[in-house]
Amino acid sequence: MPIVVYRLLVIGVTTLAVLAPLSLVIYQSFLTAPFFDPSAQAGFLAYSFVFADPDFWQAFWTTITIAGGMAAIAVPLGALLAFLMVRTDVPGREYLEPLILIPIFVSAVVIAFGYVVAIGPVGIFSTLAKDILGFVPWNLYSLLALIVIAGLTHVPHVYLYSAAALRGLSTDLEEAARVSGANPFRVAVNVSLPMILPAILFAGVLVFFLGFELFGLPLVLGDPQDVLVLSTYLYKLTNKLGVPSYQLMAVVVVAIIAITAPLVFMQRLLLRQAQRYVSVRGKGLKTQPLRLHGWRWFAFGAIMLWLFVTVVVPLFGITLRSFVVTWGEGVKLLDVLTLDHYRELTEYPNVIRGILNTLGIGVIGGAVAVAWYTAIALAVHRWNSGWTRLVDYLVMVPRAMPGLVAGRALLWVFLFVPFLSPLKSTMVSIWLAYTIVWLAYGMRLVSGTLLQVAPELEEAARTAGANDLRVKRDVTVPLIRYGMLASWLLIFLIFVREYSTGIYLLGPGTEVIGSLLVSLWGTGAIDLVSALSVVNVLMIGVGLAVAVRLGVRLHG
Amino acid sequence: MADLTVKDVALRLGDNEILKGVSVAVPAGEVVALLGPSGSGKTTLLRAIAGLETPHSGSIAIGDRVFFDAAHEVELPAEERGLGLVFQSYALWPHRTVFDNVAYGLKLRGVSAAEIKTRVEKTLSQIGLGHLGARYPHQLSGGQQQRVAIARALVYEPPVILLDEPLSNLDAKLREEARAWLRTLIVTLGLSAIHVTHDQVEAMAIADRIVLLDAGVVAQEGAPTALYNEPATLFAAEFMGSNDRLDGKLVENSGGRATIELFGERLTGIARTKVASGGKATGIIRIERVRCTSNPGPNRLKMELKAPMYLGERWELVFARENLSVRAYASAPLEPGEHYVEFPPEAMWVF
Amino acid sequence: MRHVLSSAFIAIALALGTGAQAQVPQGYPADYAQIVDAAKKEGKVVIYATTDAVAANPLIKDFEALYPGITVEYSDLNSTELYNRFIAEAAANNGTADVLWSSAMDLQVKLVADGQAATYASPEIKSLPKWAVWKDSAYGTTYEPIAFVYNKRLVPEGDVPKNHTALLKLLDAKTDFYKGKITAYDPERSGVGYLFCNEDIKDFPQAWDLFKAMGKAQAKLYTSAGAMMERVTSGEHLIAYGIFGSYALGRSKKDPNLGIILPNDYTMVTSRVAFISKKAKNPNAGKLFLDYMLSKRGQEIIANKADLYSLRADVEGEATIKGVTQLIGDKARPVAIDQTLLENLDQAKRLAFLSKWQQAKKGQ
Repeated sequence: MPIVVYRLLVIGVTTLAVLAPLSLVIYQSFLTAPFFDPSAQAGFLAYSFVFADPDFWQAFWTTITIAGGMAAIAVPLGALLAFLMVRTDVPGREYLEPLILIPIFVSAVVIAFGYVVAIGPVGIFSTLAKDILGFVPWNLYSLLALIVIAGLTHVPHVYLYSAAALRGLSTDLEEAARVSGANPFRVAVNVSLPMILPAILFAGVLVFFLGFELFGLPLVLGDPQDVLVLSTYLYKLTNKLGVPSYQLMAVVVVAIIAITAPLVFMQRLLLRQAQRYVSVRGKGLKTQPLRLHGWRWFAFGAIMLWLFVTVVVPLFGITLRSFVVTWGEGVKLLDVLTLDHYRELTEYPNVIRGILNTLGIGVIGGAVAVAWYTAIALAVHRWNSGWTRLVDYLVMVPRAMPGLVAGRALLWVFLFVPFLSPLKSTMVSIWLAYTIVWLAYGMRLVSGTLLQVAPELEEAARTAGANDLRVKRDVTVPLIRYGMLASWLLIFLIFVREYSTGIYLLGPGTEVIGSLLVSLWGTGAIDLVSALSVVNVLMIGVGLAVAVRLGVRLHG
Repeated sequence: MADLTVKDVALRLGDNEILKGVSVAVPAGEVVALLGPSGSGKTTLLRAIAGLETPHSGSIAIGDRVFFDAAHEVELPAEERGLGLVFQSYALWPHRTVFDNVAYGLKLRGVSAAEIKTRVEKTLSQIGLGHLGARYPHQLSGGQQQRVAIARALVYEPPVILLDEPLSNLDAKLREEARAWLRTLIVTLGLSAIHVTHDQVEAMAIADRIVLLDAGVVAQEGAPTALYNEPATLFAAEFMGSNDRLDGKLVENSGGRATIELFGERLTGIARTKVASGGKATGIIRIERVRCTSNPGPNRLKMELKAPMYLGERWELVFARENLSVRAYASAPLEPGEHYVEFPPEAMWVF
Repeated sequence: MRHVLSSAFIAIALALGTGAQAQVPQGYPADYAQIVDAAKKEGKVVIYATTDAVAANPLIKDFEALYPGITVEYSDLNSTELYNRFIAEAAANNGTADVLWSSAMDLQVKLVADGQAATYASPEIKSLPKWAVWKDSAYGTTYEPIAFVYNKRLVPEGDVPKNHTALLKLLDAKTDFYKGKITAYDPERSGVGYLFCNEDIKDFPQAWDLFKAMGKAQAKLYTSAGAMMERVTSGEHLIAYGIFGSYALGRSKKDPNLGIILPNDYTMVTSRVAFISKKAKNPNAGKLFLDYMLSKRGQEIIANKADLYSLRADVEGEATIKGVTQLIGDKARPVAIDQTLLENLDQAKRLAFLSKWQQAKKGQ
């Protein structure tokens, strides 16, 4: 097979997979009824309805507030955390890193359920606080709490990019400041952090963007106070007119994409700039970390406190809930301990399927997804052409579509494309949705690995007489084997965690834990939700442990 | 075997004009060195010949096999040119053994397993690594890796072998040994080779002919002796060897002799300029041709000895006068103070 | 007894040499055997339902035991998703559910009105209440009283409201005590909540006063009964207004803290509506399942194993018409399955209600 055919095939399939759902959504937004309804007509009716709806604007501004607020919290904390971890002698640094990244890999719905049980109005910690203080000093269901929790759980995202940038930065700049008399904190604020500003800025835009994708947290924590963000507005829009209205949902989706798409491309620009900055790296010497002296344990304590609030509290809450019949004010937990919820899991055939499917999508689906990402990356690898840039942008497109939306659009594709419809209620549909939604992330993992292959190794094979495809097969792929394995593990974690993409695709045969959790939460089966959450967390824990054991870097 | 001809090759990388019309011919059995400072385009030219870069004009061919011809839109991909290329970094595949590295080119050519074995073993023993076939590249020393890289490029008997600074990653002592070894190997096997280097000594030692590149054009080409002894341009004169440079005013130019004036004194040398007189001119002379005397005389300048430096087999003397600084060699140190430095007219070129 | 009878029937059928004639349930027309045979050829029935798979499980198992060879493919979805998926699949015309069984009565009626249902007169019609059958297409299958649910630990004995008026009085009298402690369905975000509110307005003259009182008490509004009950048992909220009796009954069996009240001034009764899809691939198996759900045997399981409340007068137990009547006499107000439900989906009416509701939410 000539390389041209290979490239055309891979790029063609990818383009179709990315653009088909997107164009369907945009097309639908300009109709007056579901696109398959014979009475549907073209028009802006749906737009005028949505834009005239005060709830939409309220959700819009709430989303902006939350996104901005969480960036304001996550960026300084993440950057500072990166400085502490990369540059100072905080105790136990090498063990802390995987712990710090946990919030990235735990499903937001699980975290949200956990918070309700732990620090909700009558949560375990809340009643404790009430016993001691006489009142509960926090209100989980306020917008502020939502922002703080969203901010704290997104600290690792900022940490990742800041830490990577800091590692690429020559340490002599900091040593110079140290010698001039600056203490570690001043070194961080005056020298290190300004130097990695582009990376921090990138992370800030990323977090702001993730704010628009937020779904699990507002779904669970926003419910009692009626706090709507765009994604939950979308999820609940169906009730506005009594009957589900695809055209209105499509308009909201278009509105979300109109905001997220520029953010995605802004990230791209910033990332390039950040990398340029980092490439000015000094000698790769291992230098002595900055000594914090008395502040050492203070810094350690601060990191622990953050971990406690963002990881321990919610996971403890959800785990506890899975072992009790009931909870709350006036309940002695020892009296209500039970294992029934786990037994109950086995009674639900769809839950059992969901657990098996989740494992399958993580292990097998993850492997196939990495294979696909690799196929795309290889198609444009060392190919200097306009197509390469096109593919670069193409893979970013799904990033702008929240998983919930991508799932909905793909459901339509699966319904109305004849040869795909038999696959609709199989895991293939879920796999495709996940693979598309995480395309940009996966591509970054694989391309990062490919970047490390020295071009001469491939050129040597070319001059020895191997054609393009042979070179890829005999040299490139064997050289990135380890990188592919690492990508597989990370995609496994992401796929097992994923909850929003599968919601609309949920049906018999396509159950996955994430979307089951959302659906069960909707029906109020909290017993099951908690037990299933724990199962999900355990699966992720095993994946993380394997990753750490193999020394996989937990980021792209 | 046929001759390699490169005609008027021009190549851009981005907005950067790397090659501005370069022509080179490599007759069969000859070793040609592409010499030039960094940025002169020598590696790019080599890569263009190998098929790893695409020029925008010109042509490249071996005999009547056209590799590249911009006018007729012919471009043979690298893998179909059948050349051997040795990379500066060696580019040995870390996931294959030495044997498999060398065997790969034969495997691609559909050679039977048995024949691969004999040919690889023969080549490995030619380079003196017959016993290391089962090792992986990272288990070899730098010198051994370099030999494997050469074996990999030789094993399928390419018409021309391209070497991209193959010795630059070796340390100084090893480099000199490898230089001699490589020259012997090429001559013994009767290969045609293009050897890219920025080291003029290496170029002169290894090559039958040197092509000196400067900023994307050929500055001069010819046998090593011709380049060293008869530089055509100021660049060629300065690039080869170690030199003293005398900037002055051109006062006379006739009969192949040119005279420059500095510090009110006149120095005569071989004319390398057509300008009659007036304007600035530069005299270039190899350091080893400069002589130190104690008396004034023709083509001598009175200068002050600044610092004698002991180099082992000889002394290097640095003379100065105002802002002019001149180096010379001597077998014994001189007394500090004033001396007369002689620039023999038959050894100095005036540009 | 039935088993013996049907075995005997098969034995006789075999003895007479009429071939593999299927059994016909008692009291059904003789030609029903043809439906059974056709259904067995179809081999399966696909059901989309809003009832949890676990609650429906005894029903499915019993059906499969009754008609060996027919497997049930059961999916539980939320009501809007069920509707969404069904109309899309029906339009795509490449396979959808045979039976739709949903608690969103208005959406089900709309689908029937839109011509998505097959007309089929069940042999069980004569045993069903009049309000539960519409156009020989849509059938009510359950009799679910809408209850108040409260936390037995934390609500003082004297406060427990026995009816709507009492609840209104309680909220007026102890507004501060119950501030943030009342919970109800959100009619803005939940179809069920909208239905409940509109039925209340029909049945209870002071309905808007009650809504305002809840607004003043800063009632927390949810979209799922489970979320409300979870928060009532935990004590985060104390009283939940408008909970399906079926859910409450199931939950109270596991959690003794949960109290259930069927209001004694009037109790709204809803029903899960089932119909056979016009696009059904397995229409005969669909008929069998529908008839089975409505039959005495199916209803006994609905009442006593699934806690869903039977609407047949001849079924005994707590979760039956009889059980409900014992508690509240003639105060049950079943929501009739007919075109009046379509008014709920009238957009102008809906938006008008919602704006009035938003005022009430602020206590005005």
